[in-house]
Amino acid sequence: MSNDPIHQFHIEPILPVDIAGLDASFTNASLAMVAGVGAAALFFNWAMKPAALVPSRQQVVAEGAYNFIHGMVKDTAGEEGVKKFFPFVFTLFLFIFMSNMLGMFPGAFGVPHMFTPTSQIIVTASMALIVFFTVIIVGFAKNGLKFLKLFVPSGVPPVLYLIVTPIEVVSFFSRPLSHAVRLWANIFAGHVLLKVFAGFVPAMASVGFLGVVGAALPLAMTVALYGLEFLVAFLQAYVFAILTCIYLNDALHPGH
Amino acid sequence: MADNDPPEDALNTLRRRVAEARGESAPAAPPPQSPASLAMRFGGEFGAAIIVGALLGYGADVFLHTSPWGLLIGLMLGFAAGIVNIVRVARAYSQAHPVDPNTPSVQDDEED
Repeated sequence: MSNDPIHQFHIEPILPVDIAGLDASFTNASLAMVAGVGAAALFFNWAMKPAALVPSRQQVVAEGAYNFIHGMVKDTAGEEGVKKFFPFVFTLFLFIFMSNMLGMFPGAFGVPHMFTPTSQIIVTASMALIVFFTVIIVGFAKNGLKFLKLFVPSGVPPVLYLIVTPIEVVSFFSRPLSHAVRLWANIFAGHVLLKVFAGFVPAMASVGFLGVVGAALPLAMTVALYGLEFLVAFLQAYVFAILTCIYLNDALHPGH
Repeated sequence: MADNDPPEDALNTLRRRVAEARGESAPAAPPPQSPASLAMRFGGEFGAAIIVGALLGYGADVFLHTSPWGLLIGLMLGFAAGIVNIVRVARAYSQAHPVDPNTPSVQDDEED
């Protein structure tokens, strides 16, 4: 069981709930998501409570995270994007980052392992679809039919619109897919890889003395991969957030 | 003299001066992207467009009973959209990471 690299993604209900035939149980995935949101909320409340002019260490971390995303939204979506979408993007970033980070910890208190919500494509897909529909709704609400200029790039001979417009439409609809799959695939593949290399260690060590010596190799690999996974956890949250900004910018300023 | 300003103005002036002193674009330095993650991005954008194009074409087939033309055209469109996506990503990447103009050009090691 412990050597099965896929086992970490099993969803087990903790509190079975059944609403009109739909399985809406509170599962370990739900618990991990609540823990991610809770950790972010608790940390920011705790760090920003003094709101000191000369910040403490935790306040520097909180303000640094805020400034980082604030600058990113401003650079990609402009001042208007900050006004409208900054809370949305910051929430997405924090949620993904906290989910990824919590998933890096081994289990404790009878929980065999922490669950990583972002390793389930339904979680990333729903976030990508929220962004997708936000773009469509805000785009039409703000620009009206001018939003369709997104599919009609300027500076193209009119005949070519027959080809270019369908291509742009397909390209537009492919966004939520690549947006969701990128985050999910990175986290999923990373966790499987970690488990596979970690599984080599006891398997080799059970062979004998030479096996124990040789087991140092996959062990070192696991340690190195763990470091890499921490980087991926941050980087993918950042990439998801910046792509969100780029797509939202299209809603505010359609037409390339 | 600055003391005579109403406090709102003084605050705004201070804010502007702080922003100027910081150089304004300091906080958003993107983290370095590894070549592998860039490659995954290219692959993802390309594949996603093909899948979506094929699905849209297949959907048109189902509703309009034009099988197999919708799927064929959708696949071709998806392919083109994938290339468009890749070009966009590459263009954004090279805008964010401009090549140093002092870089020596790659030496021509052809035999001619």
